[in-house]
Amino acid sequence: MSTKNDAKNWVGQALPRKEENRLLRGRGKFADDIKLREMLYLRFVRSPYAHARIVSVDVSAAATLPGVFGTLTGAEIAAQTQPFIEIGPDACGRIKDYPLAVSKVRYQGEPVVAVVAESPSLADDAAELVQIEYEALDPVVDAEAALTDKSILHDEAGTNQVWNGVFEYGDVDKAFREAAYIVNIDRMHFHRFSSTPLENNVVIAQWNPKDDRIYYECNNSFPSFAIQFLSAHLGVNIDRIRVETSDIGGSFGIKITSYPQMAVCALASKKAGGRPVKWVETRTEHITSSAHGNERTFRDTRVALDKNGVITGLASRHIDDCGAYPRYEPLGCVIWSQVFPGVYRFKNARIDFTQAVTNKCPVGPNRGYSRMQHLWFLERVIDICGHELGIPSDEIRLRNYIRPEEFPYTTPNGCVYDSGNYQKMLQVAKERLGWEEWKKKQAAARKGGRLVGIGIGTTLDSGTNNFGQSQIVNPGAPFSGNSQGANCKLDIYGEVVVSVGSCPQGQGHETTAAQVVADVLNIHPDRITVRTGFDTERNVHTGFSGTYASQFAVSGLSAVHGAAQKLRTEMMRLGAFLLETNEDDIEFGTGEQGPEVRSKSTKKSVNYWGLANIVNVNSAVLPSELYEVTLNCRYIWRAPFKVPDKQKKYGSLTLTYASQLHIAVVEIERDTFIPRILDYVAVDDCGTVINPPIVEGQVYGATAHGIGAALMENCVYDAVGNMLTSTFSDYTPITAMNMPKVKYDHIETPSPHSYSGAKGMGEGGAAPIHTISAALQDALFASGIMIDDSFNNADSLFRAMVAKEISQIKNLVRVEKRV
Amino acid sequence: MAIKFAGDFEVKRSPEEVYDFLSDPARFAALLPDFQGLSIQDSTHFTVKVNVGISYIKGTAEVKMELAQAERPKRAQYKGQGSMAGGNVTLMAGFDLEPIDGGTKVAWQGEAQIFGRLTSMAGGLLEPLGKKQIQKLIDGLQAALGRQDAGATPVPPEPMETA
Repeated sequence: MSTKNDAKNWVGQALPRKEENRLLRGRGKFADDIKLREMLYLRFVRSPYAHARIVSVDVSAAATLPGVFGTLTGAEIAAQTQPFIEIGPDACGRIKDYPLAVSKVRYQGEPVVAVVAESPSLADDAAELVQIEYEALDPVVDAEAALTDKSILHDEAGTNQVWNGVFEYGDVDKAFREAAYIVNIDRMHFHRFSSTPLENNVVIAQWNPKDDRIYYECNNSFPSFAIQFLSAHLGVNIDRIRVETSDIGGSFGIKITSYPQMAVCALASKKAGGRPVKWVETRTEHITSSAHGNERTFRDTRVALDKNGVITGLASRHIDDCGAYPRYEPLGCVIWSQVFPGVYRFKNARIDFTQAVTNKCPVGPNRGYSRMQHLWFLERVIDICGHELGIPSDEIRLRNYIRPEEFPYTTPNGCVYDSGNYQKMLQVAKERLGWEEWKKKQAAARKGGRLVGIGIGTTLDSGTNNFGQSQIVNPGAPFSGNSQGANCKLDIYGEVVVSVGSCPQGQGHETTAAQVVADVLNIHPDRITVRTGFDTERNVHTGFSGTYASQFAVSGLSAVHGAAQKLRTEMMRLGAFLLETNEDDIEFGTGEQGPEVRSKSTKKSVNYWGLANIVNVNSAVLPSELYEVTLNCRYIWRAPFKVPDKQKKYGSLTLTYASQLHIAVVEIERDTFIPRILDYVAVDDCGTVINPPIVEGQVYGATAHGIGAALMENCVYDAVGNMLTSTFSDYTPITAMNMPKVKYDHIETPSPHSYSGAKGMGEGGAAPIHTISAALQDALFASGIMIDDSFNNADSLFRAMVAKEISQIKNLVRVEKRV
Repeated sequence: MAIKFAGDFEVKRSPEEVYDFLSDPARFAALLPDFQGLSIQDSTHFTVKVNVGISYIKGTAEVKMELAQAERPKRAQYKGQGSMAGGNVTLMAGFDLEPIDGGTKVAWQGEAQIFGRLTSMAGGLLEPLGKKQIQKLIDGLQAALGRQDAGATPVPPEPMETA
C-alpha cells in the first residue's frame, strides 16, 4: 500500500550536488590516485628549441641507469605506427604528426624522448642523462609571418598555411556602397592563453600482452575522439582499446588533446612487456606543452553603418595561429562561424579566414573555443563604432541586437539561434549594476582626472555542435551530426542506476542526471545512482561522447531522459501485468517499501525490488509477451542536424545558444597603470535552468577564467620561441584573491531545441574579456587610445598611454563619413 | 632570448699576434669566465666546460665551439652550441682586426641565443648576466693581449659571482 507521493519537479530545484560529499571529503578518485602492481613511471625529455633539426639522440646513459626500464624515441615510434589523423585537407593533410618528435622539433617543450623507470624520481634523473644534439632552425612565432613561408615547419606540407576559406553572405559590396559611415580598423589581436585545471593531465596505459588489448585510466575529456585517433595511429582495432575516466579536476577543453601522450604511454607499456605505465604531467609541462587557446589577428576590418549607427555590412581578414601541429584543428576555422553575427542583426558580411602553424605550443579547444575570439572581435567592432560615432555603448547595442520577436533567428550562414532576449539581459544587468548611479560617479571621477570606464560585453555560448561543420573545412571529413548515449536500469535489487557517456570535470552531472530521472520516475534524486566517468566497455557512448562544447544539458540529459522514459515504459508494462490492471492505471511514487509503481484504482503496488526480481532472477513468472522487457534501457539521443552546404558554408552548426551579458566598471590607476575592477555584473541565460547553484557556479568559474585572461594570463613567447611564462609565477593564473565581487543574475528564455528548454552552458563565451576591453576602451578613448588587444595588464597600458608604442587610435581607426 | 653584444678595444700588438692569440683555443678559451676545462678535437673544433649559475640554478655547461671563419690576420669568428640544466645556448662571436699605429684595433661583435626553460625561470637576469660575462671576457682578452707575455697561456680571470 502506498503511503507517500513524491510528486515534485526536481528539474529546476537548487539541489545540493551529489558529488560534493565525496569530493569535499577528499574521497574522489582521480587518475593519479590509481596505483597498479608493477607500475612504471614515464618522463618526457622535451625540446628546449622552438625549431630545430634533431642531429642525434643518445639514450645510452639513461638506459643503463639502475631502475630505468627503457626509453622510447620518435624514430622508434615512427617505425611502428602511423602518423596521427589530420582533420584538415590538402597541405594540412600531409603533415606527419607523431607523439614524439622524429627529425625536427617544432615548439619548445615538444617531447623528444620518453624515459620509463621504476619510480618518478628515477625517471626524472634518467631524463637528464639523455643527450640530444640539435641544429637550430629559424623559428616563426607570428602567424602572419608564418604565412610568408620563409621558414617552413612541416616540410612535407610545403607551406605553413593550414587552411583558408572565405565566408561571404548577403550583398557586402552594396552594403558598403550605401553606407552612411564606414569605420576602418587596421589591426586587432586576440592573445594566447590557456586553462589551468587543478589536476594536470594524467595517463595510465597498459598494453596487455595476454589479450593484446590496451587499457587506459586517464583524465582525457573527449575519450571517444581520442580512441579514434589512437586506433588509427597504433594500428589497433578500436574495440581493443578500453578507456576509463574517473573524477576529473577540470579540463576546460584542454584535456581533449592528450591523445599523443596516451599513445606514448601505451607504446612504452608494450616495450616494457605489458607493465602499466603512468605519466603525470607537471605544471610547467602543462603550461608549455599541453594545449593553448587559439591566438587570432584581425586585419583590415571595414564596418558599414547606416545613419543611425546600425551595422549593415562587415568585411575582415582573420588569421588564426594554431601552434606547431593542427591536431583538433582546423575545426576552429569553422567553429567560430557558429556565432557568425554574434548577437547582432547584420546580414551582409565577408570574412576571409586563414590558419597557420607557428613554432609555439599546439592549440586545443580551450573554453569558449574559437567563438570567443570572434565574439571579442565583434564586441570591439561595436564599441569602436559607438565611440567613433558618438553613440553610447548601451544604445548602439540596442540598435543592433537581434530582437526578441525574431527568435528562432536564422543567421546569414544558416545557424538557428533558438531563443534569447539580449535587450532584457541588458536591462537586468544595468539595474543590478546601478548604471545611472555609476554614470554619475564616472563623470565625477573623470573631472578629478581619474580613468574610469564602464564596459558592456554581450556574448554567446553555442552548445551541441553539428560535426557536419567539419565538412566545411574538409569536404571529405567523415563526421556529421551529434549524439550521446545513456543507460538507465533497475538493478537486481531494484536500484536505479544511470550511466552516461560524459566525463564530468566539476559540472555536476551526477546531480543533474539524477534530477532528470527523478522527475521521470517520480522518486527522490537520492535514490538514483549515476555512474559518471567514461568507460568504453559500459557501451553507453557514441563517437561524440565526452564533456566539451557546452552540451551536457542538451545532449547528455536528453540521452538520460530518453533512457529513463524507456525504463518507465517497461516498468509500466511490467507493473500492469503484476497488478492486473492496464498501463493507463499505473502511477509512480514512493511507498513504505521504497520506490514503487501502483494502481491508481486498486491502490495495490509493487516496489522496484519486486519488478527487478521478476526480470532478473525470477523470470519464470514472466509471460512470453514480456520477454523483451529488460529493465536495462539504452538510449541514443541524436541531434536533428543536416549536413551543411559545404560550398556555401551554410547550415545549422549548433543546437542551442546560451547568452551572457556582463558589465564591468574598471579604473586604471594613474600612477601604476594597474586596471582595477570596481564593480561587476554577470547576467546569464541558459534557457531552463536544471540546477540553479550549478549554473551559478559555472558562471562564476567562466567569469574568473575570463577576467584572468583579460588582465593576467598570457602565453608570452620571445622572438626565438622561448615561452617566457612557463610557471605560475610568470603566467599568474587568477586566484580568488584577484576576483571582484560578482553580482550574478539570470533570465530564462527556454530553448525550443531541447526537450527541457535547457541550453548548454559553462563556457561563458569569454564575456569578461569583451567586457573589460570595452571598459578600458571607455576609460581611454578620450586619451586617443584604442583597446586593440584582448590582453591588457599594467605593462601594456603603460606602453599605450605613456610610451605611445601601441594602440593609438589615429593609427588604427579611420572613419569615412558620407552623410 | 637573444643577447647581442659589440664593442672595440686597442692593443699594442700586431694584427698577426692578436689573430694567433684569438685563434688558439688553448689561449682563447681559458679566458672564458668560469672556465673549467678544454678538449681540442682539431684545429678548428674544441669543447669548453664552464660553470654557469643563476641563483639556485647551477651547473656545468659544455659548449662545442668551431672556429668558423679564419682570415689571418683580419678576422676570426667562433660559433658555438652548448647545453646546461634548463636550457641551450647558441652563440656567435667575431673579431675584426685592423692595424693602427703601434698596434691593432679589435672590433668584436656577437650574439647569444638562449633557449629553454631557463629563459622563463631567469629571463630577467639573463641579459645583464650575459653582458657582464661578455665584458669579463673582453677585459680578460684585453689584459692578456696587453701583457708582454701574451704569447703564453694567460691566467684565467677570477670566477665570476653568480647573481
